[in-house]
Amino acid sequence: MDGYDLLDGKTGVIFGALNEDSIAWSLAQACHREGADFVLSNAPVARRLGSLDELADETDSPIIWADATDDEELAELFEEVKDEYGSIDFIVHSIGMGVNVRKDVPYEDLNYNWYEQTLDVSAVSLHRIVNHALDTEAINDGGSILAMSYIGAERIFSKYSEMGDAKALLESIVRSFGYRLGERDIRINAISQSPTKTTAGSGIEGFDAMYEFAERVAPLGNASADSCADYAVTLLSDLTRMVTMQTLYHDGGFASMGISDEIVEAMEDSFAEEEES
Amino acid sequence: MASDIEETVKSIVVDKLGVDEADVASDASFTNDLGADSLDTVELIMEFEKEFDLTIPDEEAEEIATVGDAVGYLEEKA
Repeated sequence: MDGYDLLDGKTGVIFGALNEDSIAWSLAQACHREGADFVLSNAPVARRLGSLDELADETDSPIIWADATDDEELAELFEEVKDEYGSIDFIVHSIGMGVNVRKDVPYEDLNYNWYEQTLDVSAVSLHRIVNHALDTEAINDGGSILAMSYIGAERIFSKYSEMGDAKALLESIVRSFGYRLGERDIRINAISQSPTKTTAGSGIEGFDAMYEFAERVAPLGNASADSCADYAVTLLSDLTRMVTMQTLYHDGGFASMGISDEIVEAMEDSFAEEEES
Repeated sequence: MASDIEETVKSIVVDKLGVDEADVASDASFTNDLGADSLDTVELIMEFEKEFDLTIPDEEAEEIATVGDAVGYLEEKA
């Protein structure tokens, strides 16, 4: 697909690409296609786990390794970003990890150290990033900040467990900071994306069932990472200057649905099987 | 008598993986016995690097599968 030059001349930082399954990976490709220059960042641990170098080559982007839960590293990152670009127009936060979820610890009996780590990595990191972008004067007036969320922030998806809390906090930080960024015409939004088969997503027990359920309920089916990236570039562009403090569904219509014929029929079949047995 | 290195390794493993110290035997495999996933194993390696102030190349890190492997490696290199 050809670009529309939506981000021509814009610069930014994209946090959270690990491998080609990452939403941030698709997002970086789309930003590159639309003419943006950006820094890629992830935690040092991703250096051994992922393949960010490939994305950096493909999009001609520098990498700055930084732990998004570490204030000093973030402050340094934004200083380096300023050396690279002077100042930036957008920030993408696509970072999430549920430690208890990964380790199948039930919600009723969370390990609280891990829970704090989950909230810190998945939500508070957005606050830290915005804080340091402002503090170092790295972000321009009229800039756009984007975070990735999931409908589990506001409704119960039983297996999503502690991550529901983390995404609820993330969406709340979007609103709280959105108010305060308004005087500089900086906008901040969250995209509430369909379940997406990423490394983080696959760590959730029952993920495949959640994915297939959403696929059968949403009138348009699940939104892919690539389509999410296309939507995201509009939110980073000048076409959406008055959109801020929102959680925006990008889910093929899932959020407005209750049940679909496909699920009704599947349930009828399953009930019939139960009665026969 | 356990070496200092062994004690340190065990305490890192207990802390990172949230397991009981009693389960952290020498022949315990990080992934098969102690429930570590790929992110945990990388984090463990990085924690060892930090604690013992050394760099563990990827190809050597891949050989460290058990608590005993880690202790042996670190006793040799640290």
